[in-house]
Amino acid sequence: MKHSISIFWRDRENHYKLLITKCRNCGKSSYPKLKRCPYCGSTNVEVVESKGRGTLVNYTITYFRVDGSEAMLPKVIGLVKLDEGVKVPAEIVDVPDLSSLKPGLEVEAVLRKYSSDDPHGLIYYGLKFIPSIIKKQ
Amino acid sequence: MSRCCVKTGVVGWGAYIPLYRLRSKEIASLWGFDPNVADSIWIEEKSVASVDEDAITMGWYAAKYALVRGGVNPEDVGAVFVGTESKPYAVKPSSTVIADALGISRKKLATDLEFACRAAAEGIRLAVALVSSGSIKYGLSIGSDTAQASPGDVLELTASSGAVAFLIGPAEESVAVFEGLTTYVTDTPDFWRREGSKYPSHGEGFTGEPAYFHHIISSVTMLLEELGLKPSDFDYAIFHQPNGKFPLQVGRALGFPKEKITPGLVTPWIGNTYNASALLGLAKVLEIAKPGQRILVAPFGSGAGSDAMSLVVTDKVLDRVHKAPTVEELINRKKYVSYAEYAKSRNLILRNVG
Amino acid sequence: MWGDGMLKAYIASVEMLKIDRHYDKSYVDMALEVIDAVLNGVGLTPSELDYIIVSTAFNSLLTHQVGSSYILAQYLGVKNVNVASVEAGEASGAAALDYAASLVKSGKASKVLVVGFEKMSEYPSWIVNREYSKILNYMVEGIKGVTPPDYAAIIMKEYMSKYNVTREDVFKWSVKMHENASKNPYAQLPFKISKDSYVKSLVMSDPITMHDSFPVGDGAAAALIVGDGFTNNAPKELVELVDVESSVNLPLYLREDLTVFEATAKSLSKLTSKHRVSVTKDMALNVYDTYNIYGLITLESLGVAERGKAHEVIDEMPYLNVGGGLKARGHPVGATPLYQLGELYKLMTEGFAGMKYDGEYGIIHSMSGPDNTSWLVLLRRCVR
Repeated sequence: MKHSISIFWRDRENHYKLLITKCRNCGKSSYPKLKRCPYCGSTNVEVVESKGRGTLVNYTITYFRVDGSEAMLPKVIGLVKLDEGVKVPAEIVDVPDLSSLKPGLEVEAVLRKYSSDDPHGLIYYGLKFIPSIIKKQ
Repeated sequence: MSRCCVKTGVVGWGAYIPLYRLRSKEIASLWGFDPNVADSIWIEEKSVASVDEDAITMGWYAAKYALVRGGVNPEDVGAVFVGTESKPYAVKPSSTVIADALGISRKKLATDLEFACRAAAEGIRLAVALVSSGSIKYGLSIGSDTAQASPGDVLELTASSGAVAFLIGPAEESVAVFEGLTTYVTDTPDFWRREGSKYPSHGEGFTGEPAYFHHIISSVTMLLEELGLKPSDFDYAIFHQPNGKFPLQVGRALGFPKEKITPGLVTPWIGNTYNASALLGLAKVLEIAKPGQRILVAPFGSGAGSDAMSLVVTDKVLDRVHKAPTVEELINRKKYVSYAEYAKSRNLILRNVG
Repeated sequence: MWGDGMLKAYIASVEMLKIDRHYDKSYVDMALEVIDAVLNGVGLTPSELDYIIVSTAFNSLLTHQVGSSYILAQYLGVKNVNVASVEAGEASGAAALDYAASLVKSGKASKVLVVGFEKMSEYPSWIVNREYSKILNYMVEGIKGVTPPDYAAIIMKEYMSKYNVTREDVFKWSVKMHENASKNPYAQLPFKISKDSYVKSLVMSDPITMHDSFPVGDGAAAALIVGDGFTNNAPKELVELVDVESSVNLPLYLREDLTVFEATAKSLSKLTSKHRVSVTKDMALNVYDTYNIYGLITLESLGVAERGKAHEVIDEMPYLNVGGGLKARGHPVGATPLYQLGELYKLMTEGFAGMKYDGEYGIIHSMSGPDNTSWLVLLRRCVR
């Protein structure tokens, strides 16, 4: 069992959705859904859902083997700046041509498998990004 | 209009086809088939889901865009049905993951349906009945499969991955309104997978005449009789597509000319996506159809059964097409992979895990 | 508050084990080896210790042992000692030194043994990589499969494009660390590398290669922190553990600028606001370089070099990471700050790696992840 059932289940909203914490005190937005603003510590925050589109800030192609990741390597891991202005760490998948990866690439969030306790355990689903299928107008 | 579908229609639709493609000729060559086998059943290439995709993730994408096209708040969806024969879990619903991930109301019906390739079609019928009865406002039926085929089986030429979702709701909000639905099912053992088996088995030629052809012809004939319509009343006819050849043959037997069938063909370019097969054809046709046109769609599922549905397109279709990726765009978005990459991503290679 | 008559803390001894894949030694074997060396060197018995503070980040994950501080005390045969572990990710050892110094300066203890260790070779790399990645936020980054070298790679790419720095410029760090490690008897990789060896090195997360990153190894080091009253065999040249300061940064994805370590800078300003010290090129400085790019950014965040220019100044820094840094000395995580302390302490007293440092102050920098928390330990030479 790679992940705790309850840890993943309790936080599934943060894996299934891109939730943004907006601080009414300092005005800054952060990720993910938080009870306190990480910038100013205020609890006067509201949570909104991102539309799931953004652009790539930067990325790496990784061969770093972590238990369970072997069938998914190499992976592209990047920071994505959501259209709402917040950066999130994420895996970028379905890149047809790795040379097309560059800062500024338009991406959209998709539900994928993060990992899987094979062969008998749970499958852990969460959001990754793909190069946008529909380009911004 | 038949009593089973009073004032209901398709409010939104969404499709998903994985990025990757495997050429059928490569499979045929690897397993020593006659080089012409792919052409003989008209299959050029098939879509291959990535290693991190399954029926849940693909179904999520299709359902997400069905909601976007429909402009419907997920909180207003009262039923989620997932038709699949490649459930990621033997026991644990796929529908709940998709529904939670899309923010669909917790007050809902949610279940996974299994009837080979036609479970999602039955999901549509269930949603239609629930909407029509006033039990729910909107219902989602999702067809999603990462179809399995034993390596080397002729089935491997076509078994592919994809998903489609239809949001069923009130006729006045619909892009296409249901006119009638009929279903014809019998106990016919043409194709099956036993509990615990990794790959399905089938009766080869037996999947044709007594199964595919008999059931589709029966359901469509029943529908035409019920509605008092004839093939010439339809602008498009879409049949289940285990390959590119069968839908043309069954259409010919029923009296539908080729030009009414080819607009809804998807299998020659993406393979048989099982629960998404005929319904992706419907999605593709909705993306080119004009208001007032009539569509026949007849999915088939082994075991066996067929549903025949008649829909009439409304003027709402036009501005919803480009709110989400179209089937055409998804077919054209592709990257070829080798058989080895396909085997890796579809978990066909024996390795130590866990 | 410094110099106003408060009690002071001194380093009485530091002992280190050569970092390696010690397949024949358990964490207990390694820890007892360095503890014995410290106690024998100063002529103390285990029962004379007031405290044993353990620093380890991964022992519970990789050796399945929690409470290793009392396990060690049981093996030492002592009952009358206070024991505890301190954990702050990769900076655990710096935190342990902070608490040891605080105990001594408060008067609660006068003989505190700090022992840091890590057994990183008990599992194959893919398991160790998984556990090591837990220095990032497991619920946000870990579950998504984001790992520490991924962040190092993204930071390095941002840095290179922002400051127009080349791959070879960044690699100067690795070359210098290996040069230094070649003279360090405790180093895991005591050999020199060529200025372009990254070209053929295996890529971890592009552009980070094995030669840009620390090696995985086992190690243990122990230090005895004492108060003014301790005189047994005390060396003539004493090193005072003056102060430890630390800060916390935002997670990487919430930072505006990925190419500066604000917690490192903040810790420095906390330290300099209390003590008359500034970081200079000729100072004995021992910084964290889990990846070479982190070494460069740390120097810039400490104000030794302008932003984007650290690679130009490292050759002007004779006392920078004299043991070879994490890059070449190695990084047995919980022990690493104690290796840094050992290298600096020896450099300031008996000499280390063929060098002797005569300056007044030395600084150790430690951090976990890319500056998630950063710690500074201030050492000062004082002659009795």
